[in-house]
Amino acid sequence: MLLASLVLLPFLGSVLAALMPQDARNRESWLAIGVAVAGLVIGGALFPQIAAGEVVRAEFAWLPAKGLDFVLRVDGLAWVFTMLVLAIGLLVVLYARYYMSPEDPVPRFFAFLLGFMGSMLGVVLSGNLVQLVVFWELTSLTSFLLIGYWHHRADARRGARMAFTVTATGGLCLLAGVLVLGHIVGSYDLDVVLAAGDRIRAHDLYLPALVLIALGALTKSAQFPFHFWLPHAMAAPTPVSSYLHSATMVKAGVFLLVRLWPALAGTPEWTWIIGGAGVCTLLIGAFVAIFQHDLKGLLAYSTISHLGLITVLIGIGTPLAIVAAIFHILNHATFKASLFMAAGIIDHETGTRDLRLLRGLRHKLPITATLAIVASAAMAGVPLLNGFLSKEMFFAETLHVGGDRNWWMSYAAVAMGMFSVAYSLRFISVFFGAPAQGLPRDPHEPPRWMRFPVELLVLACLVVGVAPGVSIEPLLHLAVVATLGEAAPAYDLAVWHGFNLPLAMSVCALVGGVALYGVLRRHFDLAQRERVPLIHRLNGAQAYETTMLQITRGAEWLLRRVGTRRLQPQLMLMMVALLLVPPLLAGVPPAWTAIALQGFDPIFAGMWLIGAGCALAGAWMAKYHRLAALALIGGTGIVTAATFLWLSAPDLALTQLMVETVTTVLILLGLRWLPPRIESITGPAQPAWQVWTRRTRDLALAVGGGLALAALTYAVLVHPASDTIADFFLLNALSGGGGSNVVNVLLVDFRNFDTLGEITVLAIVALTVYALLRRFRPAPESAGIPPQQRFEGDPASRQNPAEQADSGYLMVPGIYLRLLLPFMGVIAVYFFMRGHNLPGGGFVAGLIFAVAILVQYMLAGTVWVESHLHLRPHRWLGFGLLLACATGLVAWWFGHPFLTTHTAHVDWPLVGELHLPSAFVFDLGVFAVVVGTTMLMLVALAHQSLRAHRHPGEELSADGPGGADGRRG
Amino acid sequence: MELVLAISVGVVFGAGIWLILRPRTFQLITGLLLMSYAVNLFIFAMGRLSVDKPPITPTPAIDPAQFADPLPQGLVLTAIVIGFATTALYLVMMIGARGLSGSDHVDGEEPRE
Amino acid sequence: MTSLPWLNHLIIVPVLLPLVVGALMIPINQARHGLKFALGLSSGVLLWAVAVALLVLADSGHWPGGIGVYLAANWAAPFGIALVADRLSALMLVLTATIALAVLVFSARRWDRVGVGFHSLFQFLLMGLNGAFLTNDLFNLFVFFEVMLAASYGLVLHGYNLRRIQAGMQYIAVNLVASLLFLIGVSLIYAASGTLNIADLGARVALLGAQDAWLLQIGAVVLALAFLTKGAMWPLGFWLPTTYASASAPVGAMLVLMTKVGVYAVLRVWLAVFGEGAGAAEGFGFTALALGGMATLLFGAIGMLASQDGGRMAGYGAIVSSGTLLAVVGHSGGAVLASGLYYLLGSTLAMAAFMLLIELTERIRPPGAALLAITMEAFAIEDKPEDPVGVGIPGTLAFLGLSFAACALVIAGMPPLSGFVAKFSLFHALLAAAPEGAPATTWMLIGLMILGGLAAIIALMRLGVRIFWAAGAVTPPRLQFSEAAPVGALVLLCVLLTVQAGAVFDYLGRTTAGLLRSGDYAARVLGEPPVLRAPGAEEGAR
Repeated sequence: MLLASLVLLPFLGSVLAALMPQDARNRESWLAIGVAVAGLVIGGALFPQIAAGEVVRAEFAWLPAKGLDFVLRVDGLAWVFTMLVLAIGLLVVLYARYYMSPEDPVPRFFAFLLGFMGSMLGVVLSGNLVQLVVFWELTSLTSFLLIGYWHHRADARRGARMAFTVTATGGLCLLAGVLVLGHIVGSYDLDVVLAAGDRIRAHDLYLPALVLIALGALTKSAQFPFHFWLPHAMAAPTPVSSYLHSATMVKAGVFLLVRLWPALAGTPEWTWIIGGAGVCTLLIGAFVAIFQHDLKGLLAYSTISHLGLITVLIGIGTPLAIVAAIFHILNHATFKASLFMAAGIIDHETGTRDLRLLRGLRHKLPITATLAIVASAAMAGVPLLNGFLSKEMFFAETLHVGGDRNWWMSYAAVAMGMFSVAYSLRFISVFFGAPAQGLPRDPHEPPRWMRFPVELLVLACLVVGVAPGVSIEPLLHLAVVATLGEAAPAYDLAVWHGFNLPLAMSVCALVGGVALYGVLRRHFDLAQRERVPLIHRLNGAQAYETTMLQITRGAEWLLRRVGTRRLQPQLMLMMVALLLVPPLLAGVPPAWTAIALQGFDPIFAGMWLIGAGCALAGAWMAKYHRLAALALIGGTGIVTAATFLWLSAPDLALTQLMVETVTTVLILLGLRWLPPRIESITGPAQPAWQVWTRRTRDLALAVGGGLALAALTYAVLVHPASDTIADFFLLNALSGGGGSNVVNVLLVDFRNFDTLGEITVLAIVALTVYALLRRFRPAPESAGIPPQQRFEGDPASRQNPAEQADSGYLMVPGIYLRLLLPFMGVIAVYFFMRGHNLPGGGFVAGLIFAVAILVQYMLAGTVWVESHLHLRPHRWLGFGLLLACATGLVAWWFGHPFLTTHTAHVDWPLVGELHLPSAFVFDLGVFAVVVGTTMLMLVALAHQSLRAHRHPGEELSADGPGGADGRRG
Repeated sequence: MELVLAISVGVVFGAGIWLILRPRTFQLITGLLLMSYAVNLFIFAMGRLSVDKPPITPTPAIDPAQFADPLPQGLVLTAIVIGFATTALYLVMMIGARGLSGSDHVDGEEPRE
Repeated sequence: MTSLPWLNHLIIVPVLLPLVVGALMIPINQARHGLKFALGLSSGVLLWAVAVALLVLADSGHWPGGIGVYLAANWAAPFGIALVADRLSALMLVLTATIALAVLVFSARRWDRVGVGFHSLFQFLLMGLNGAFLTNDLFNLFVFFEVMLAASYGLVLHGYNLRRIQAGMQYIAVNLVASLLFLIGVSLIYAASGTLNIADLGARVALLGAQDAWLLQIGAVVLALAFLTKGAMWPLGFWLPTTYASASAPVGAMLVLMTKVGVYAVLRVWLAVFGEGAGAAEGFGFTALALGGMATLLFGAIGMLASQDGGRMAGYGAIVSSGTLLAVVGHSGGAVLASGLYYLLGSTLAMAAFMLLIELTERIRPPGAALLAITMEAFAIEDKPEDPVGVGIPGTLAFLGLSFAACALVIAGMPPLSGFVAKFSLFHALLAAAPEGAPATTWMLIGLMILGGLAAIIALMRLGVRIFWAAGAVTPPRLQFSEAAPVGALVLLCVLLTVQAGAVFDYLGRTTAGLLRSGDYAARVLGEPPVLRAPGAEEGAR
């Protein structure tokens, strides 16, 4: 629990901080300080156990099924890192209190900072690799937010994105690596993995695992070639730079490598990958650092090179090297953090970080100057400071790498030493010389407590440097033992080992460094030169930017290739899929036993000769002669209906016929709004071959699809039917369903649930059509009266439809059809009533009735009809649906499932005993919905013609059918 | 008989495919009409063909073999009605698109290239 | 049994309630938004309660095997239409109801006013979705798909402008053709097997002769094509991003759900018909699913990288998630099902929240900012740092930013939210399916998923930086509580899903266990007896 609180506290604090008001700098920092101190206390409480060499574990079940539990695990290494994170965190928070300006939204800052602290502790304390990855990504996330803290600055945004993209990608690689590792070991638990070192190294997935994990670590620790993000991360506020980007987060990578050393290290691959990256990094970083003009930029590159140094040590991989690595991690954290803070103070006081402007600050900032000089001396590896010790060990290790033949490693080390001396000198040069003129602000010593953290850290550098044995040794020992176990070597941290090669290397590094600096200043005007010599082309950042740009461009390009936004290609692909996929998957059909069931009938064949001909002709005409095409396709519809009738499906024939009629009328009403299309007018000119290929392709598809469906149909037709559920319906229709017309019983009883859904579809479509047409605006050229009606010689052209039907040329049919209305109503009722036993039913009746009214509209015109009949389509719809549901719900009352039908026996006078299944009522609902839908759609369409005749410009009132109902929906 | 029906289904379906691959909304809608005819016939055919055996049972005690398979007919009925509704919807939308964009291209705008 | 236990009626309520409420609203004058909203919301709340109740019933062992069967019209399966409420369908119902509630509240602000019939259509959409999740009859599934689609047509065109109608024409045309495929597939299956009931089909498939088996497979594939067109599998899903980008925010959120219905239907049918016990046909087509899924995943990732505006990006995100689902299920079948369902839950919630969020963030961005941001990120203009003083983020912006980040993390599958848990558990399941050395395809799939996540996070970060950071000093957008609350709630659900991962996975484990025993499933559905008539009423009834 104690452990858990160690990780949870910072997150808790982060939430609290986020809730505080904008200007609560003090409260915020006190909160943060409290969190850090509490953490340190808890850490201290753990010390005895750790010192005793035990491993403290705390587990909380999270996803046991997936081997993913929340495990916290502290050993020496983890403990030392925890204390490092907390201690530096404490100092940074204190520093930030004075650094951040009152205008800054501090809640955000401290919330993110604490969030980071928690994530970092999580990384350090994770006892489960997957959980470690989780916290790992969290550190990337918080770092992203902190770098982008001043997000009104483009460089901050850019730096944040760069850092996040690189580290998060690395994190994903790490995840993959962890998965591989877990797959090898069979568990993600750290202890198990560490114990399985030999098995892992022997496994043939070792290399992938190593590479992936290395990618994760190297990106995080800004190793070549991924180092470029770190300098850009300097856009963050300085406390962030000194905390995340020098002391802790960038150490996560090397920490992970140390952590997994027992599991992965000890192979040539390890040395080459890790060590190689390290060497390049340390040289490039140190060299580039010399030529920076931005204080923080210089520190950033030096951080890169020091991280490289640590990586090299880990790459070397001997126990002593690991000791040196851990030791240098601690040292670097102390002096680099203090240097960043010092740089921050300078920036804060003078208002600039430009090395070209800053001069002679020691006059104005004596104390800060002293501190900074000592710290940079430690960075340069001057004796009696901590940097010297670990660098000494590093030199010693480099001597072993190549044996006694191969010295390149040692040369690299000395060169790096020289560079670091040079850039340290460059750094402290700001304190010497004549006081600078024209600084943005006039500097003076910062507040007491802003300097305090620096003082403390520099003191630490001194103490460790002078008396390592008493100060750092015990802590280091804990970490070393925890990492190396019984492999822990004997070593002694003394300032003086007598005259030996490492010492010589240090000396020549120091001397050479000073010399190099002098030469660069004199002859290469270091102070002003813009570009890094030799390797200025090696610009990772630009490479990154271009890569991202290329990725986006490439994605767009690819998308245009493998995707489309147009409809035709999509339909084509669907058809292609329909043609190819089924045979591909189901394979060639087995041998087929064909038995023709019906003899050939010439009349039927002739009928379909017409039907198919109509279809083809329609397809041919559809582009230029819409009316003709419509008529032809209607022909096909009629033939279809006839076929149904022929093949003993009278209900289908009826319905098809009615639907045919209504659809045709609908489309006729719609045709009027389509633009004229004449052969002579063609769209954008396309090369003939293109058109040709497109058409042949479509033709091939059409033929292929047709053949396929024909073949399938034939295959089924000549193939004996398996036992179907159909017989049940035939046998139970009359006895169970109370109707002899099985199809109708099927619709209103056996499968009436389908029918319910189906009438819902009708209602929905009606509503949608209505909604669409209320907002309809005709295209300008089709708004006026069509040319056919503009012929002045024709008296009808001056009459409105109503007049035409009353007194005009439509008078005779008008009168007839008005008389026809009741007749058709009766017919509808007739079909409805007989529906249950003979062909007919709700649909057909509804459609017939609708057509009856439709005819009135067509002849007498909208105005006349609506002045004589009051249609309320919306009510028909609602009523029909509700009626159907109600019929179904009655069953509940009998304790039966929804839609169970019952039969009531009513004795009517004259008529006699009539048995009335509830299906009738249901069918009535269907009838109502069908009528309502058809009316709503047709009438709404018919209303468009009213609009069109109005003059353009006049406000078109959104009248729907039936005036009063206009605003229904 | 079977052959005739099969071929006709194929022809109508093919004509439909050709039409839905055309660029104009009217062609598309007619194509959909044709395809739905074909599909309705196809569903219907799945119950095999039978002449003069309408599924109307005068008495409860009958021999199912003497009647056409009613189920596909029921399905076709539903399919016809739903097809009718959706066709109408597409029709109205194509008018609306024409009204707004002035174009009767299936993409609601004339192709740019 | 002479009367049905009342609790069983609950199974049909998710279909019935929205139908009745929607029908009631049709004749009500559209000016009365208040009334309609109240009706719709109360229906939504009730639906949610019923869905939860069904989930509890299914999980508590109230029904044998956790499978509740409801015989509509009281005809025994396979003759009548059977609704089945098992753990999976109950889960989907809860998901639907949850998102529906959020969307309803969200749309109360203004979206239900921009056109007529919003609330009726919304109810009908719910009816279609719930029906599709509950029904166990292929043709009935078709009907409910049509209900759902018809309603979605209406909603996609809701408050229509040129952009919407152009998208709508594409969406509708594609789906109409897909419906035709659906019909072909269903009828072929009937011709081959003589039944429409999914469970019955599963029982019969092993007994079919070679010719019928072939016909059945052809039919099943055609059917799957129809489903996968709705599930947006490459290359059938190009309609999706355009539709998402142009639909209004609430409709977009519902579309996220509808995309999942296609995937759900495939899983349902495939597991019941070609699962274990399917004889020669066992495991038919799974490989194709896996390949298609991978292609879809890749396509979606590319799309996310390429797209600049939020709606389109969300569309491609949806494509990625259905691709992932299809790929993993196709690859390892039942072994990864639990993780897949968990992934489905998380991604659906996050996507829905994201769709709503996009609409809110549109209000932040000053015109032209987008273009500016693009050029800046393209050419990395180094502008000299100005005064190092931050811009205070007001409450609303902070809320939007946090929600955006959360959604982005879930969608991209980055730690620490449910997205990562889902991805990790998928990886784990995939690897665990092959203890002795996973095959290359597994690693390939894992790599693809990781790459997809990377693409997503890059794209989403670009979008987020542009919306929240590059906009310069913006006035905080005006945000209604009724708009913020749903987004917040959905995001919180994602968090809850992460924290309670253990419990959720237990449930999902039971769910998949039930799904994979397709034999018991068939036995339960086909064994359910219709309610007998009271002896006396033999004459009266029927």
